[in-house]
Order: sequence, then structure tokens, then C-alpha cells
Amino acid sequence: MNITQLLNQLPGAAAQGLIWGIMAIGVYITFRILDTADLTVDGSFATGGAVAAILITSGVNPWLATIIAFLAGLMAGLITGVLHTGMGIPAILAGILTQLALYSVNLRIQGLGTDLGSRANVPLSINKYKNMLVSLRNVGNFSIENPIWLMLLITAVLIGIMYWFFGTEYGCGLRAVGSNQQMARAQGISTGRGKIVGLMLSNGLVAFSGALMAQYQGFSDVSMGRGAIVIGLAAVIIGEVIFGKLFRNFALKLLAVSLGAIIYYLVIQVVLWLGLNTDDLKLLTALVVALFLAMPYWRNHMAARRMKGGKPVG
Amino acid sequence: MKKLISMLAVLTLIFSVCAFANAEGTTYQVGILQFVQHPALDEATRGFREALTEKLGDSVVFTEENASGEVPNCATIASQLVAKQVNLIMANATPPLQACTNATGDIPVLGTSVTDYQAALEIELVNDATGINVSGTSDLAPLDRQAEMIRELFPEAKTVGLLYCSGEANSIFQIKKVEEYLTAKGIETKRYAFTDSNDLASVTQTATECDVIYIPTDNTAANNTEAIANIVIPAKVPVIAGEEGICKGCGIATLSISYYDIGWKTGEMAYEILVNGADISTMPIEYAPQVVKEYNAANAAELGVTIPEDYLPIGE
Amino acid sequence: MAENEMLVLKNLHKTFNPGTVTQKTALDGVNLTLQKGDFVTVIGGNGAGKSTMLNAIAGSFHIDSGSIILGGQNITSLPEHRRAAFLGRVFQDPMMGTAASMNIEENLALAARRGQRRSLSWGIRADERAAFREKLATLDLGLESRLGSKAGLLSGGQRQALTLLMATLKQPELLLLDEHTAALDPKTADKVLRLTNQLITENGLTALMVTHNMKDALALGNRTIMMHEGRVILDLDAQQKQDMTVEDLLAQFEQVSGRQLANDRMLLT
Repeated sequence: MNITQLLNQLPGAAAQGLIWGIMAIGVYITFRILDTADLTVDGSFATGGAVAAILITSGVNPWLATIIAFLAGLMAGLITGVLHTGMGIPAILAGILTQLALYSVNLRIQGLGTDLGSRANVPLSINKYKNMLVSLRNVGNFSIENPIWLMLLITAVLIGIMYWFFGTEYGCGLRAVGSNQQMARAQGISTGRGKIVGLMLSNGLVAFSGALMAQYQGFSDVSMGRGAIVIGLAAVIIGEVIFGKLFRNFALKLLAVSLGAIIYYLVIQVVLWLGLNTDDLKLLTALVVALFLAMPYWRNHMAARRMKGGKPVG
Repeated sequence: MKKLISMLAVLTLIFSVCAFANAEGTTYQVGILQFVQHPALDEATRGFREALTEKLGDSVVFTEENASGEVPNCATIASQLVAKQVNLIMANATPPLQACTNATGDIPVLGTSVTDYQAALEIELVNDATGINVSGTSDLAPLDRQAEMIRELFPEAKTVGLLYCSGEANSIFQIKKVEEYLTAKGIETKRYAFTDSNDLASVTQTATECDVIYIPTDNTAANNTEAIANIVIPAKVPVIAGEEGICKGCGIATLSISYYDIGWKTGEMAYEILVNGADISTMPIEYAPQVVKEYNAANAAELGVTIPEDYLPIGE
Repeated sequence: MAENEMLVLKNLHKTFNPGTVTQKTALDGVNLTLQKGDFVTVIGGNGAGKSTMLNAIAGSFHIDSGSIILGGQNITSLPEHRRAAFLGRVFQDPMMGTAASMNIEENLALAARRGQRRSLSWGIRADERAAFREKLATLDLGLESRLGSKAGLLSGGQRQALTLLMATLKQPELLLLDEHTAALDPKTADKVLRLTNQLITENGLTALMVTHNMKDALALGNRTIMMHEGRVILDLDAQQKQDMTVEDLLAQFEQVSGRQLANDRMLLT
């Protein structure tokens, strides 16, 4: 167990964390701002990857491909939104339904142009598509091509846009929808439309992140989104637990989400570095996230105990 | 904060490269990334390790990692192995191969248990070699001969069901080819795709409407052979499997390649690269050295299938 | 005469859970006309239909039959958020009128744009902030120096006062008050009630106030109506209110409805 080895692995964790951080910001919007649990993300993450992959392999510029992936995510969010507000299906179920449907859709998207019509995996080799935005290959270099720089820039720009958007009249209206639906309606805000817009924006970001991930890892796979909602929620909560007291400003709160994603990946990296059996990876990750989740609860508990004179109470 | 950490990491990287260059040792660091745990992949890894251990003894140190079937883990572990600066990486299955190939353009990457390198890497093979830092072994058993086996064992069969996981590119590749061969022989085929182990049972149930079922070297199927057996055996529908592990669990016969053998072959290739300085970019993809017709005695008896003389029973 | 009418309720009917065990006819032919500037207090026993009538006007649900005409416009089929442009509302639950996770000035900024199309310009302007501070100072609750505090940190009374301010920030055509002091302690309730009266009379607002306090009902406003079993059974004008005492009112009720008023809260306060 070599500390230099661990440090060597940090850039990889940071890069992956930053990419997933974008997805986590999308999850933050629905989870904290709109107070909905949106399970569409497991599907829309892979949709982003699929769309970007199929476009890049057809010769489209990676920047454009990634933006189109964002648009595809908007569509996914729209579907969930309509299922929920237009058909009265509870938000969680609506998300699950869309995610289920997207599995087949993603297979089809990736299969465009093939004679089978559906494909589970699309390779995006950095050797072939040298102008991809980010790549696993460059994460160890100290050069402009290191994906960390671009991801930092994208994260900063994204947070800036979100901060501006949620500070506008319209954005404040959306926040009201998540905070108190009755009050929002009493102020003339359409809660149905607000939820749809929120879901669209969120899944757009998730698909954007998926497009970046496909380029980073060098392939798009129809199962690459599995477990995405867990990572997203873990990042949101880790960010809040650690930076909650420090970061009050909305922009900083979004930053905390991104940092939460990085910390999550650092934890995984440490688990791997410790040489623990990778079969136990999921169990260990669950334990770590559970610890983070329990921290605010225990903190309050300790504070209450101290007030009672420090003696253990019953 | 992040910039500081990454700058620190990069500096340490530079340091350790220098340190490494100075420390002249004959210990070879070999990284192994296996996609998921199941008998076939386990055998390939075992063959690989034993081949190298036999030739290098204590001079080889393995770092073995398992992605637990999760695609995102492949990228994480691949970058970890690269950061560790191993001398060679063995990627067991397609997602690890893709992740490792993208993680590094210098470290030699040997794949195994990958059916189609061209599709996996989107590359044209020249003289069966990739031209980049990738080579390896393929687990492809001749699909035309597998189609023939179906004809040989079940001459009256009119419909063949092709059962596979829609999420596995390797499987899709194989059933496409088998479909072509069977159709050329005048046998009707139908595809039955499940998404994961959750709907595997119900899709298999539907597939029993056919006379024979064919399952390629599908990772998900290989992990759930009991579930499949519980459906096909009572339904008396024979299964021809793409590899021995699946046949052992739920099949009648298979054109078997030994995963251990291709793992071993990969180990030999690794030795050539590490010790004899062979150039990986010109090493052709190797296939299984031999194929054996095998059958599952118990299942064959249960279903009343007569097996010709040249088949070997699968050992316990 | 029609030009001076602010609200006309024609024969409203609403039955909840029809055909089931819990069926309840909440509105059984409600007819009511409010002139501009009427400040009407609404009283009645439990289940009389008072809150239901207010919710029907607000659009929380669709009525079975009848029509609601506000300021000359038929709003019967408009969804709740579209009616908000004309209505100011204060709810019985002090938590319901404000967004807890947003701060005071943001809540006020939202209210200032009630019913308007929300654009992408910045959510709150500097000149607005100054105006908000002034308005909050009139509440005399110290809120004017806490514009940045989250609404969730305020006490029930403070939130209710804030809701009241928000409801009248942009002059509504009709102000709906649904037992809005019921959940407050006596001192705060008194303060909020005085504030209510002040805002309504100063701005000449048309208002419907449901209250369980018969003394208040008689003392405030220029008109009092009593509801029973989904209908308006008593309608007292200003003169009648002045001459009426609580005992008289109870007697009137018995006479009109044929039974005793069964509502402890109303009788004991």
C-alpha cells in the first residue's frame, strides 16, 4: 500500500467525480428544488451516452453531439413530466416507467445504421475520435488535454447558469413549486408546468453528463446508467453533510453537490487502493454513504445529550 | 482545492516515474481486470495466471480486480491500473477491454473472453492484428459448426429459439451469425432477448415454444443457468450452448472451447511481450487451440437425446 | 347595479365522494353577491360549507354545477393558478401561505408578480427591496431587518402576517381569508386581525373572511352571512350587525335553521 500510488489515482477519481457531478446537479434540481424523486436518470444517463456515441461515430463534432444529447435528455424529462402531471401517475412511478422504456429506446438509438437495428455497446475509441471532449487516456497528463480542466470549466459555467436561472422571476417560480405547491398556485404559478420544466432541465443535465461519460470511458453501453440515481443522491447528500454549514449561497450549494460526487469517487478509489476485495465494493460503498447520511442525525443527537448535562440518557 | 490535489498528484506522478526508472528490478507488475464473476471468466483468469506463474515464478506480481458487472467500475479500475503503471494489463471481457484501451495508449492490453475485437474496438484488423497496443484471445467457437451441431443432433427440428441478453454485444454478434447459418439450412429461427436476470425466466419460458434453443456465450445466461434449467428441462426443450459452463448448467451439447486454454494462451502472449519484447501491435488475435464436442450426460438422458460417439461427456 | 358587483355566486353545488360511504354535500345551492368594497364575515357550524365555499371560489376543486363570476368575468372553469391573478388568499394553516425554503424578500417578490407572466429578468429588483422594507415595517414585527431570513424560521404569527401582506401587495379583486387567525395565540391573533381590518379598509378591498369568533364577525366588516348545511341562511347588513348581539345571533340561527347551533368554538369564544 503505497501513498504515492493513491495520489496517482486521484486525478482519475477527480475527473470521474466531476463528470458524475454534473449528473448529480441534475438530481439536485429534482430532489431538492422540486422535492421529487426522479428515477428517470438511470435511463436518461445512458440515452445521453447513446445519442452522443451514435453522432460522434457518424462524424458529428463532439461538442455538437454532446449538446444534442442534452436535448435528448430534455425529451426524456418531458415524458416523465407528462406521465406525472398529465396522467396523474405518482412521480416515482412515472420515472420508473420512462427509465424502463428508455432501455429499449437506447438499444434502438445505438443500433441505428446497423442491420440488427439494436446495439448494446458502441465503442468510441480515443484512437479514432481524437477530438472527443474528454478521455480517460489523458487523465494522468499535466496538459491542456487533461479532462479535469475542461470539466472544471464546464462545472463552473453550469453552476453560473443555474445560479442565474433560479434567480430569475421564472426560476423563483420553479423554486416555489418545490417549496410549497399550494402557495405557488396561489401566486399564479402553474405547478404542473413547473414540474415538467424542472424534470426536463434535470434530465437534460443527466444526459449531458452521460454523453461526457461515454467519451471519457471510450464506449457507450446500454447499462451504463444503472445505479446512477444512487450515485446522484449520494453526491447530493455527501455534499450537504460536509459543506452544508459553510455554503449557504445557492451557487455554492451546487458546488457542494459536485464536490460530493468527487468525494464519492475518492472513497471508491480508497477502497480499491486498500486492496479490499472488489466483490465487496458495493457493500463498502453502501456503508460509507450510510455513514454520511447518519451524520446529521447523530450530530443532533449528541447536541441534545450535551444539553442534558452530558450524562447518557436512557 | 481540486486544482491543488491534481497538481500534487501529477507532481508525484513525475516523481514516481523517475523513481521507478532508477529502481531496476525484474519484477513484472501485471494488472487483471475481470468484468464479472462467473465460471468461464474465472477459468480464463486462472489460465492466464498459471501460465505466467509457471514461466516467471516470483518475478510476476498480479493486481486482480473485478468490476462486479458494473460498467462504470471498468473506467475507474482501468485508470487505477494505469496510474499504478503496471507493465501489462489483461482485460477479461469486452467492457474492460474497451475501458483499458481508452485508458492507455502505451501499456500493452491483452484481452480475453472477447468474441469480436473488430466490433469492440471499431477497428479493422490487419493480418488479424490491431495495430495499436491491443491484442489477445477470442472465445469465438466456430459458429457454423455450432449451427451444424444443431442439425446433427436434432434433424427434425423446425424452429430454433435464439436466447440471449440484449445488453451484451458479444451475444448479439453470435446469434446474428448463427441465425444466418441456420436460415441457410432451412431452419426457422426466432429471437428471444431478455434485458437482465430479472426477466430471464419469463423470456426463457416463452422460448420453450421452439423445438431447440441456442444460447451463445452470454454472461448473464452463464450466471443464471439453474434458472434456465428449471424451465427448459421440464419443458423438454434441448439447449445447445455456446460454451461449456452454460452447457453444464442447462444444456445438452456444446462445441466447447476451454476458457482455461485461451487464458493460458493469453498468458503465453504476455510472456512474449514482457520478457521477449514482442510488439503487441503486430500480434494477431488468437483463437482457441482446439474445439471439442461435448455433451451433458444427465440432461441428455433426461430428455432422451441420443448422442453420437464423437462427443465427450462433460466431466463433473 | 351590475357594474358594482364584484362577486356573484349562482347556485353552487358540490358533493364530495359521491356514491360512497363518505359522501358529503358541502355546497347545496349557494347564492351570494358581493358589491365592490364589501367586507363580509362568514360564520357557521362545523361542516356548514364556509371553507368549501372559499375553496370553490379559489378553484381548489371544480364545482358540480353553478357559476362563479368575479369582476364581471366567469371564472368557473379556470384552473386554480389562473384565478390567482384576481385573488388574494390567506389560509388557516400559517405554514401554507409562504415558501419555507425561500427568504422573506423572495416570498414578497413572488407575491408582487402574482398572476403575471414570469420572465427571465432578475427575480427581485433593488427598488422593490426598499418598498418591501417599508411595507414590512408597518407590520411592526421586526421583519423589515430580516429580508434575507428563510420564511421557515419565522413563527406562525409572523408567517401569517407575511402571508397577509403578500395577499394584498398587489391589490386583489377579492381577498379570501379562511379562519386565518384560528391557529394563532390570542395576542398575535389580535394583531393580525387588526392588521387585516386596516389593510382592507385603507385599500377599499372586497373581502370574505371566515371566522369562528362571533364577536369578531359582528364587529368587523359591513356584512355578515351565516351558513348552514351548504347554504347561506342569514345575511345581515351593516345596520343589523350593529344592533345584533351574540345571543341574538344564536336565536336567529335557531329560528332559521330549526336547530341549535352546534359549534363549541363559536359559542365559547
